Amino acid sequence: MNLLDGLWGVLDLLLVAVLLLLAMAAVLSSDRRRSMMLFIVFGLVLALVWARLHAPDIALAEAAIGAGLGGALLMATLRRDTHQQTDQFPQHPVVLWGVGVLVMVLGTAIAWGLFSVLPTVEQTWRKGAAVDAQLAFSGVSHPVTAVLLNFRAWDTLLELAVLLAAIFGIRALGYVRSAYVTEVAFSQLAVWLVPLLILMAGYVLWAGAHSPGGAFQAGALLAGAGILLRLAGYSHAGLPTTRWLVRLGLVAGTGVFLLVGLGLLGWGQGFLHYPIAYAKWWILLIEMLATVSIGMTLTLAFMGGIPQKEAA
Amino acid sequence: MVGLSAINPQFLYVCAGIFLFAIGLWGTWLHAHYVRKIISLNVMGAGVFLTLIAVAYRGEHLPPDPVPHALVLTGIVVAVSATALALVIIRRLEDATDE
Amino acid sequence: MNEAASVVWVISLPLLGALLATVWRQYAATIGWVSSALTAGCAVWLLWVVQRAGVQELALGGWEIGLGISLYADGLAAVMVLMSSLVVLGCSVYARHYFRAQRQHELFWPLWLLLATALNALFLAGDLFNVYVTLELLGISASALTALGAKRAALRAALRYLVVGLLGSMLYLMAITLLYAAYGTLNAVQIAEALQVDPLGWAALLLMLAGLALKMALFPLHFWLPPAHSNAPAPVSAALSALVVKAAFYLVVRLWFEVFAPLTTPLLANALGALGAMAVLWGSWSALRAERLKLLAAYSSVAQLGYLVMFFPLLAVLEGEARQWLFGAMVLFALSHAFAKSALFLAAGILLQYAGHDRIRELSGTTQALPLTTFVIALAGIALVGLPPSGAFLGKWYLLDAAFKTGQWWWVLVLVAGSLLATAYVFRLLGHAFGHLPAVKRPVVAATQEIPALALALLATFGLGLGAMSLWSWLAHTGTGAGL
Repeated sequence: MNLLDGLWGVLDLLLVAVLLLLAMAAVLSSDRRRSMMLFIVFGLVLALVWARLHAPDIALAEAAIGAGLGGALLMATLRRDTHQQTDQFPQHPVVLWGVGVLVMVLGTAIAWGLFSVLPTVEQTWRKGAAVDAQLAFSGVSHPVTAVLLNFRAWDTLLELAVLLAAIFGIRALGYVRSAYVTEVAFSQLAVWLVPLLILMAGYVLWAGAHSPGGAFQAGALLAGAGILLRLAGYSHAGLPTTRWLVRLGLVAGTGVFLLVGLGLLGWGQGFLHYPIAYAKWWILLIEMLATVSIGMTLTLAFMGGIPQKEAA
Repeated sequence: MVGLSAINPQFLYVCAGIFLFAIGLWGTWLHAHYVRKIISLNVMGAGVFLTLIAVAYRGEHLPPDPVPHALVLTGIVVAVSATALALVIIRRLEDATDE
Repeated sequence: MNEAASVVWVISLPLLGALLATVWRQYAATIGWVSSALTAGCAVWLLWVVQRAGVQELALGGWEIGLGISLYADGLAAVMVLMSSLVVLGCSVYARHYFRAQRQHELFWPLWLLLATALNALFLAGDLFNVYVTLELLGISASALTALGAKRAALRAALRYLVVGLLGSMLYLMAITLLYAAYGTLNAVQIAEALQVDPLGWAALLLMLAGLALKMALFPLHFWLPPAHSNAPAPVSAALSALVVKAAFYLVVRLWFEVFAPLTTPLLANALGALGAMAVLWGSWSALRAERLKLLAAYSSVAQLGYLVMFFPLLAVLEGEARQWLFGAMVLFALSHAFAKSALFLAAGILLQYAGHDRIRELSGTTQALPLTTFVIALAGIALVGLPPSGAFLGKWYLLDAAFKTGQWWWVLVLVAGSLLATAYVFRLLGHAFGHLPAVKRPVVAATQEIPALALALLATFGLGLGAMSLWSWLAHTGTGAGL
């Protein structure tokens, strides 16, 4: 037992050391391309940290959305840069050190504040206890999904609106990446990986009701399939070619979420107040459409906008 | 070995989170190029998320508090949305020739 | 449908509009202004409900508050929602003819309605993490709208705006982490009741103030505001200056006077007030030196937000009824600025469309060509300087009164200097605009552009000046009430 705890201690120290070194290198490196690579690896190590801290939902999301999609987005900015790019700090070293001292003071203040309360509340469960007590009435048995889709559904609804705002902004920039280098390797990979990703998305979505997973992770997997298709040379990345269908798909998640909420209000239940007996089904419906919307949004974000009608 | 087991993981990960927050803030503040600012911002965000999840951690044998987990999931999605928008603006700026 | 539903509808209507405008994009403009009008109607309904039935607290999903999220509408929140909805309505009517190409409409309306959603959701949020989500929705949609300017300068301003907003949000989110760790809840009222004076409280307050000061462009963190506000399309500039920075200010007010009340000492309030004073002087001086009308308006926003912060040190020492009057005066000042500044930006947009530029030195003949637009600029100028009968006049009057009563005469000096500078920049602008040219062609301006600008300017001057008394009675229903 003692030995096991000791091993965990070593593992923790190693993980944290690697994480912090990667972060420092990503921020400090003068080579932009290297900074991006380091950041992507940082995301993968972070996913391990989440798993270590018993946060499998976040580990899944971090690997798919943070490191995976974030990495793909970063690489999309880089692709055309053939020459090496160095970033020097324009400021005088005194400023660099001065700001460094300032942020360390702020960090110390945060740590001081946090550690003055943590030992006393270490074992309290905070809102976890309330979640546990009400879980049976939430319609799902996985606590994180219950918080996201029921107890704090309003946050999630607005979060879907945030995704919409970002994609509308991207679309407004009127920019579609002109040409990708179509890699034969990608198209071969796509043949078997895309169906697999879609199947996995379906599973992760379904599993979210009782175990880690849910709409965001599933949507990210769908987006992975879309990005792969795009890289394999499919100009629409598997999205519908009918433009209004794309727009409908983008807003479907938010729209159904909002309409269910308002419908329940009109029904006399109160906004987003699911009747206990049907909560499971409402949540599943919302999650399914949200998965489609998230997948389409993230794919489009990678592509840089809705595809224009391609001239023959 | 016995000495290492005395390290409270919560303490360790909270410290790591705050450190990431600080270095991310430093990078966002001082970097001139926006791609680097965005990377730093994401490191800073990771720091906040790590602190939050470390606060939710209750040891090996107790389930963690699910509320911070949900908040961090929301935060990750919001962060990636903003990152995507910022990166497309950067791409567009590099293309734009009008002045 | 029960009364509390008004709280839900003022947020849901613009969101619904945004979704519909995306799908039926050929009707985007119609959907946009109709949903703005309906939202404004609901905002009036909400204010009426709060007056009649008191503070509305809505536990979403039917869960106990704390586990679930609450929406919280008191007098202050309802007044802010009404302010926001009216400005959004004015800008929406204006935008119908401002954007000429169908494609511009398709891009503008969904983002615009998401911005309106974010504002109302923020004013009504009772949960600090929910506030974070609304702040992000606000920041991302505002930045995307700024980028609609499409020129290189606009894109650059939008990018900086986005990064600054995200940085502010991260600081704010770290503060939430601390508060949740200590108090195990995210509900503002529950945290306010439990808050202790300890290092954690100080760290959280510092982080939140820093994040929100960045978002409200408080001196010396104002650097991002002038380029963003001056390069966006006119209705967007109007909303950014009138509402978006005001949303951050509203949060500072809520946190300062309610959540962190035990920590906000007069000393801290004076430090904040000093930043406000510098913002007034620097902002007004820069406005006086601005070459372009939209830049003048943007710098003037930095100054006007400075005045709002200058109320804090005085509110810190006053008590009882005098404090309530001063608090009302602060809100009145914020409303007056919102209406006046949006009117000014809308007028500047008309000027830009018909003169092709907004260089102040070359505005001669504007009065002859665009008499109504010039009148709007003059009315807005009255409110910015703080002349009677504008709401800002009453606001400044109470500020002056409180400064004398509490013996803090140095704020009076700043107030006088700021007002003199404001007079100078407004008269410099009008001086050029009234310049006579021998032959001027009078363009035909769509009434739907000039009328909303005029309506907002009239609201800032006569509306608020003469209707100020009802504002204090509306605010009487301000609830959580740590001292309000």
